[in-house]
Amino acid sequence: MTARIYVLEVPENEGVVDVAARDSQVTIDKVGPYFRITADDELIIDRRATGCRHAVWYSAIAGLEDSIIVQQDKDALRVTRR
Amino acid sequence: MATAKSVHRVQGVDHTAFPTFDPAGTVKFYRDVLKFPVVHSICAAGWGPQKHPDFIHFFFDIGNDDRIAFFYYFGLEPYRDAGAPGDAWAQFTPDVPEFFLNSRHLAIHVEDEEDLLEYRRRLDESDWPVEMQVMHETIESIYTHDPNGYMIELTRALRPVTPQEDLDAALTIDALCEVAQGEAPSMDKLLTRKAELIVQRAAAWELAQLNESVADSKLVQS
Amino acid sequence: MVKRIGLIVPSSNVTVETEMPRLLSRVEGVDFSFHASRMRMHAVTPEEIRAMNAQRERCVLEIGDAGVDAVLYACLVAIMATGTGEHRNVELAVAEQLATGGSSTKVLSSAGCLVSTLEDMGARRVALVMPYMKPLAEKVVEYIEAEGITVADWRALEVADNSDVGCIPGERVMDAARSLDLEGVDVVVISACVQMPSLDLVDAAEKELGVPVISAATAGAYKILRSLDIPVDIPNAGSLLRIDAPVPAS
Repeated sequence: MTARIYVLEVPENEGVVDVAARDSQVTIDKVGPYFRITADDELIIDRRATGCRHAVWYSAIAGLEDSIIVQQDKDALRVTRR
Repeated sequence: MATAKSVHRVQGVDHTAFPTFDPAGTVKFYRDVLKFPVVHSICAAGWGPQKHPDFIHFFFDIGNDDRIAFFYYFGLEPYRDAGAPGDAWAQFTPDVPEFFLNSRHLAIHVEDEEDLLEYRRRLDESDWPVEMQVMHETIESIYTHDPNGYMIELTRALRPVTPQEDLDAALTIDALCEVAQGEAPSMDKLLTRKAELIVQRAAAWELAQLNESVADSKLVQS
Repeated sequence: MVKRIGLIVPSSNVTVETEMPRLLSRVEGVDFSFHASRMRMHAVTPEEIRAMNAQRERCVLEIGDAGVDAVLYACLVAIMATGTGEHRNVELAVAEQLATGGSSTKVLSSAGCLVSTLEDMGARRVALVMPYMKPLAEKVVEYIEAEGITVADWRALEVADNSDVGCIPGERVMDAARSLDLEGVDVVVISACVQMPSLDLVDAAEKELGVPVISAATAGAYKILRSLDIPVDIPNAGSLLRIDAPVPAS
């Protein structure tokens, strides 16, 4: 079941989108200025791999579609289908 | 022919005002440490319907013709216990967390890193050193508390705000108003509602931006 | 109904506290009380003006405590000697001081009343009589002209001491007024000074010269009444102060 989040296209969020894109089960397209990140199964993004500062990391998610954040801490973001 | 006035025509902060019980300390902090010029003062008494003491209302310039102002009331004692959390205006019980106490503050803008570091230096050499330096998404800030306990932030933008951030803010606000007026508001509900708004509005917004820039460039060419 | 009028006067001024009550006591249906605060000044020199201005805040605080309905800052020549348009700065400062303390007192200055009254009267060309030494008199002329009003002719009686100004005989003022060239003059200001007594001369001068005559005092009274929404109908002090008098049925 797909998990889906939206991330605004601004320079600070590049790391988040890049790391998400590396996962083969993840599809990324655009809705206006937002990246729509869809994972077939669970979406997992390693924070350190993104290179994001804390303030950016914790405000990177702009929207959740039928999904729920099960983990968002200094290690990782995990989003599953609601 | 007079130009029509725009809808949004205010011009920033005339002054933001606070009470003080320590005018000398306040002057030392703002005038002497931060070097904000004293630009105005009013010596008045309480003549209105409510009795209040003689007072001085004094103003420091904080740039852009904006000002921070203080009221000092002669003979007035603080309304708080010395040890209580809070500042000269508001006293809180010990159980109130710091994030809440710090949520009300004045943030003053500086142009660039050099200026931020200069104010950092002035504070660090004073009795009110910088307590914290934080990088937010698009800004970098230093924080301290003034002699009255009021938190002051000095901040610089790391990059200019983009139009898509304006859209994002608008969507957040719309989602927030809905969610906050509903049952058990939460971030989860807000982000879910916001995703719906993104789907509804973001594509059309981007199209409108493109059309505007095409129109603008045509204007430039013509 | 009692209206309280605050007066902020130079310390040696005795005429404002004489003429203003005499004028306003002629208003029917309204009683006035007067409450003065003094600013020490002996000679109109830059140093004394500076020292006087430093007392302004104290005087406003004192007057504010009396809860007056209107305050007249009656230091005309000190304002005019400071610089053109200065009455606006002073009125603003006094108003701000009172308003910040929650007072609803109306704020006027003698200099501002004179200028504003001439504007209300549509005066384009005026003639003045003043007690001052020439350099100060020229500053008064400059002040009025900066407001867009031409001073066609003027007389300076050159009395240096402010206390002596308070004793200038009426005939001397009338003679000076008679000597003015009134060609194209709309209004004669028989005393552009709040210390030189002139109240008893205004009506007589107007009848004799055939031109509207005002004084700084009558202008002050007119503006005080306007600020308090009281009809301006005071007999025997010139046509300005009869402006709201009911017109007799013909």
